[in-house]
Amino acid sequence: MAIEEEQSILFAERPEWADVTPLAQYENINPVAPIFYTNEYKDAADYFRGIVNAGEMSPRVLELTEKIIRMNPAHYSAWQYRYKTLMALKSPLDVELHLMDEIAVKYLKTYQVWHHRRLIVTQTRNPGPELAFIAKSLQADTKNYHTWSYRQWILAYFNDDELWDAELPFVEEMLENDLRNNSAWHHRFFVVFQAGVRKGDEDRDEVIRRELGFVKQSISVAPNNASAWNYLRGILDHNGTPYSDLQTFVNPYSVPHTLEETAEGVVDLENPLPSKESHLPAVAAIEFMADIYEKEGGDSLMKATELWKSLANEHDTIRKKYWEYRIREACQKVTT
Amino acid sequence: MAESQLLIPLHVSYIKSLGESKDELAYHTTAHLRMNAIYWGLTALCIMGHKDALDREEMIDFVMSCWDDEAGAFGAHPDHDAHILSTLSAIQILITHDALDRVDVDRVAKFILSLQQPSGVFAGDPWGEIDTRFSYIAVNALSLLGRLSELDVEKTVAYFRQCRNFDGGFGATAGAESHSTQVFVCVAALAILDRLDEVDSDALGWWLCERQLPNGGLNGRPEKLEDVCYSFWVLSSLSILNKITWIDAEKLTKFILSAQDPEQGGIADRPGDMVDVFHTQFGVAALSLLGYPGLVDLDPVYCMPADIIERMGLRKGWKALDRRSV
Repeated sequence: MAIEEEQSILFAERPEWADVTPLAQYENINPVAPIFYTNEYKDAADYFRGIVNAGEMSPRVLELTEKIIRMNPAHYSAWQYRYKTLMALKSPLDVELHLMDEIAVKYLKTYQVWHHRRLIVTQTRNPGPELAFIAKSLQADTKNYHTWSYRQWILAYFNDDELWDAELPFVEEMLENDLRNNSAWHHRFFVVFQAGVRKGDEDRDEVIRRELGFVKQSISVAPNNASAWNYLRGILDHNGTPYSDLQTFVNPYSVPHTLEETAEGVVDLENPLPSKESHLPAVAAIEFMADIYEKEGGDSLMKATELWKSLANEHDTIRKKYWEYRIREACQKVTT
Repeated sequence: MAESQLLIPLHVSYIKSLGESKDELAYHTTAHLRMNAIYWGLTALCIMGHKDALDREEMIDFVMSCWDDEAGAFGAHPDHDAHILSTLSAIQILITHDALDRVDVDRVAKFILSLQQPSGVFAGDPWGEIDTRFSYIAVNALSLLGRLSELDVEKTVAYFRQCRNFDGGFGATAGAESHSTQVFVCVAALAILDRLDEVDSDALGWWLCERQLPNGGLNGRPEKLEDVCYSFWVLSSLSILNKITWIDAEKLTKFILSAQDPEQGGIADRPGDMVDVFHTQFGVAALSLLGYPGLVDLDPVYCMPADIIERMGLRKGWKALDRRSV
């Protein structure tokens, strides 16, 4: 019998549960936080307490915990006891995962849903289908923090080359759907730079070139995308590449649109220009140029200061105090 | 019409009314949050200067009724299994009410320490969910209990280091995306452990002040929506890094005030949404750090009244905005 059909029948009314002593919720006298139950939840919770008290681990416990989880997915004791029962019964875990697929999609933002899967996949040792499930659930909620960190955990835990190899295409697809998905950019960095060196990627210079090409292309399409600029900085910082190497690329983004862009000419693949529809100057580009000038020092500090002033007073006024801090810091460098 | 003032009497009565919720099922299905909710409500009342609006004895009795004698720690509700989340809230409530003597400190410290994993991170309970939130909670609780010396600091710090990302931020687990809430728990824990050397203060300070959106509100990560609770996570992190001035205080204040419910009281995640005690607490906490007039000082590291933390000798080198007189 499907769970749905039983929803209106209380456990108290079912003869096959008559041997269980339900335990009512402890109620303090004049509690600060009194509880008012709906009958259905109260009934399930009472029987859950009865089962736990008796230490029972049987198929009907799975039925009961599923019911509680469907009404209250954050009830961590129910999850915990369900897992213990699954282990005790040696239940088929792929069946469990399939059941959980439906619940996970409904309750995506609940920690417990993902932790339960983590425990199960640690037992099944079959991560491939999990990655497929994660990809599917990310379609519904593309930036779900639990989902992405679960994916990162699976990749690191199983550390399977085949799984890692499939990640870059996966991330590229996510970014193609939404260039501004910070979770996807973060995952790209994780996969490319923080997961060791895999076969085919031994030429680190080539990897850096490829990544720079990718992020520059992305910035040219959407110059005001904070995630892409953070990714660019991440590549440079991680690999010790000077920001000044990117000066030719970044400069056109730090000023208003010019006639140069619209002129026909040879397309410079190394330095893609900002898309015509984009809003310029891009604040992140101005910041980047200022960082280049600051690093150069000497006379360039004046140029950096001018850019920070333009941010403080015109382009990024909400962070005025931060830009004034940068100006002060640079001045101090000059005087010391 | 946008509110220009913090409606303290309304929020006080909203918090008082939480025990008499009309929406029965929703109230019940948040039983696993009950201890946390009481801590949020109590702390908000303290910051608004109305600590006595909820009965002290009743609250202490409720906390003690959540003691899980098998585990030696506190659950979220009577008969709930002990969890690190509810254990910290219980300790914070009891300390706020000067009733820590009711706690078996030895057993609680033992429970907390038993949750540390080989990697250095803490689990929430024996079920094993891990998260840097739980590491912060462990550090915070042990510190409040005076048992920080029993912690393996190097091991704990090593995991925070693994959670530090290329943008200077921190995630929930190793490899996870930087997120304002996780930044707060890592930075605050490192502050308690006197290990802020693990933080790239300039890079992270910039990442944090980039959370402010044109409407004045703060978000949790790039390209996401603003939410009142991030006001606290971000502001407290910045105050610990001594960079709270990097946020436009006036705009953020206006944003938080506009998320109030001027009829029922309480604060929501953003203007027009349903209020709840979580966002009420973190909205008020953020306003306190912003120097909003008439509020009590809050310690951003422990998220408790500052004078209590100071009396316990636990104050760290954070800096909030000066309290305005108007």
